[in-house]
Amino acid sequence: MAHDHAFAELIQEYISECLPLAEGVNDVCLAVERRWDAGDHAAAAVAGLKATLHTIKGNSAMMGLRAMQLVAHALEDLAGRIAADEAARGEAESALLVHGSGLLVDLIPAAADPDAGTGAAEDFVSQVRLHLTAGPAGAPSAPLRLERRGADRRAEAGADASTVRGDFRRLDALLEIFGEAMIEQSALTEVHRRLATRVGSGPELADLDRVVGALGATMKRLETALMQTRLLPISTVFGRFTRAVRDLARDERKRVRLVIEGGETLLDKTILDRLGEPLVHLLSNAVVHGVEPETERVSAGKPAEATIGLRASALADRVVITVSDDGRGLDTDRILAKARALGLEVPSDNAADVYGLIFVPGFSTAERVSHVAGRGVGLDAAAAAIHDLGGGIEVASQPGRGTSFTLSVPLTLAIVRSLIVEVDHERYAVPLSHVAETVRLEPGALHEINRQGVVMWRGSAIHVADGGRLLGTGTTRTAPRNYFVVLFAGPRRRGVLVDRLVGHQDVVVKGLDPTLGRPAVVSGATILGDGRVACILDAVGIVAQREAA
Amino acid sequence: MGRSAKVSSAAPTPVPTPGVFEFADQLTAQAAAVQAPVPAAQLHLITFRLDGESFGLPVETVREVIRVGDITRVPQSPAHIRGVTNLRGRILPVVEIRTRLGLTPLVPRSTARIIVAEVRGRVLGLLVDSVAQVQKVPADRVIPAPDEVKSAHTDYITGVVQLYDRLLILLDLARALDAPGVPHS
Repeated sequence: MAHDHAFAELIQEYISECLPLAEGVNDVCLAVERRWDAGDHAAAAVAGLKATLHTIKGNSAMMGLRAMQLVAHALEDLAGRIAADEAARGEAESALLVHGSGLLVDLIPAAADPDAGTGAAEDFVSQVRLHLTAGPAGAPSAPLRLERRGADRRAEAGADASTVRGDFRRLDALLEIFGEAMIEQSALTEVHRRLATRVGSGPELADLDRVVGALGATMKRLETALMQTRLLPISTVFGRFTRAVRDLARDERKRVRLVIEGGETLLDKTILDRLGEPLVHLLSNAVVHGVEPETERVSAGKPAEATIGLRASALADRVVITVSDDGRGLDTDRILAKARALGLEVPSDNAADVYGLIFVPGFSTAERVSHVAGRGVGLDAAAAAIHDLGGGIEVASQPGRGTSFTLSVPLTLAIVRSLIVEVDHERYAVPLSHVAETVRLEPGALHEINRQGVVMWRGSAIHVADGGRLLGTGTTRTAPRNYFVVLFAGPRRRGVLVDRLVGHQDVVVKGLDPTLGRPAVVSGATILGDGRVACILDAVGIVAQREAA
Repeated sequence: MGRSAKVSSAAPTPVPTPGVFEFADQLTAQAAAVQAPVPAAQLHLITFRLDGESFGLPVETVREVIRVGDITRVPQSPAHIRGVTNLRGRILPVVEIRTRLGLTPLVPRSTARIIVAEVRGRVLGLLVDSVAQVQKVPADRVIPAPDEVKSAHTDYITGVVQLYDRLLILLDLARALDAPGVPHS
């Protein structure tokens, strides 16, 4: 039992160390393939792989993972041969490199099962062995162009040393301790405030003022520093896409180049973990629907090879990611026709509103007739995933020129700036990323239409739910609802009536134990300054919730 | 710190039930006893009260006993969940074991405690009326509960022990928590 546990931990460590290495190797192999296709040198990049492969081989051997050990070993031999004699390169070599490194990327996450993938690994090894003993089969490829810039080579070969990795359990533990310190700090501040009211003034109190103030500033710096240690480059997610896009494009018989920029942009793991899936949706959508078939591109005077851009950049406390293609662009007429056929409400004919329809649940998945017709492989799912993160998604398009999706996501979900509200003497944290506005409820402002609360807000009528009823406080309303908080998730809005706004606070988010079920209106919990637990409201769940009984 | 801070079992505060706070020492003793050869079939049970009846849980499943601090209700949680409480920075689910056993929810008094127990790898708090002490019971004194009280709903009772003038009901916690709950109104 204890042994198993320790072993599982070792396996986790192995995966978290070797997977980024393998992904780096895979990226380099794909880059090598491109260079050879273009008739360029890549021997330095291939030579640079050997050290990384050696590390993977060694680690795998230590863990008794024979499949990975075999594959890494075979790749190492292959890389050695190519580095020694680049004239030996050809399609067969690049295919083997890409296949082998891809195999590593697939095998490593399954390391918990020591026998997994042995068959595939042995196949690969025998292919390599056959290849190495037979010598280069095909005719030598196009003559090499020799002028290269050194910086490029270093970039290609640099996949080994710069890989960042972190043991997040340790960092989570650190964050937990920090959370406790934050609670104690606010308790101290509270005592200080009470003391000041009672004593009034005095030299010791002035000292205490200063210390409490300084502590607050230090805690803020500590929070920033702690968050920094948790940040990982977005390339840990982007890394997987080069291969995915290449494979999908091949299936679609299209030529697509994926250009990645800003891979060094930092994000918290809590966000990174949930970013992969929506990005895969958007990239697949770009390959399948955005990019036209080659003949269509050529006759439109575009390069036969399409370019899909994946770019990330930091913007204050958010990260902006764009997925763009130089394909055919969105066709408003077709979108409108399809929306009408599906019986969807079309807000207006202006392009932005029409584009917005592609995110409507069911729009992109309702029709699978042809690639030409609509756009959207699970675009609604991608948009929903981004909204869940407290992010936003927008689309822009130019007919014949291409389409781009712009996502904006918060840096972290571990510490969330929140509004603390009170409903029937219970306190709740509401993530500010989902709060459009808080409004004092003026007498007579709350109307009832069809037994549902409605208020006018910024020129439109929005539905407001009673906080007590929504959260099931069960007590008869003792305190008057003085405010409503306007929550939003994507384009949807909903008001929630609350008694009191307590203030703004950074809260350390803790998950709910599965014993507590999966409440739709609560996403987690946190500990407030007075040591009490407060639930964190799930704005997405609340906004999505249709009428509460 | 705050008024709401919970007092752990090791706190040197005077308490109404003296037995409770020897509990930690007994746990240590128990741990030591595990090292040494134990005369087989001695059950170590922590005993507590629910609605006038005495119940017993194997000490191995119990981590500590804490006083009842602030419990925060969690909206839309299952009926047998009282809420969550702050256990030294951890968020501990608190189970209303009484409703699980068909009793009315507890109105906590000063004797009420939360038994922090490990059930199938999860740490949960059990809200009980009061905690008595750790009892050593020879395993052969455990007898099956009468057939009449046995049903699908009570298969979490592993047996009963006659203890002085009382009857101690032995609980299988994992089963008690799995049992179909008494529906909420």
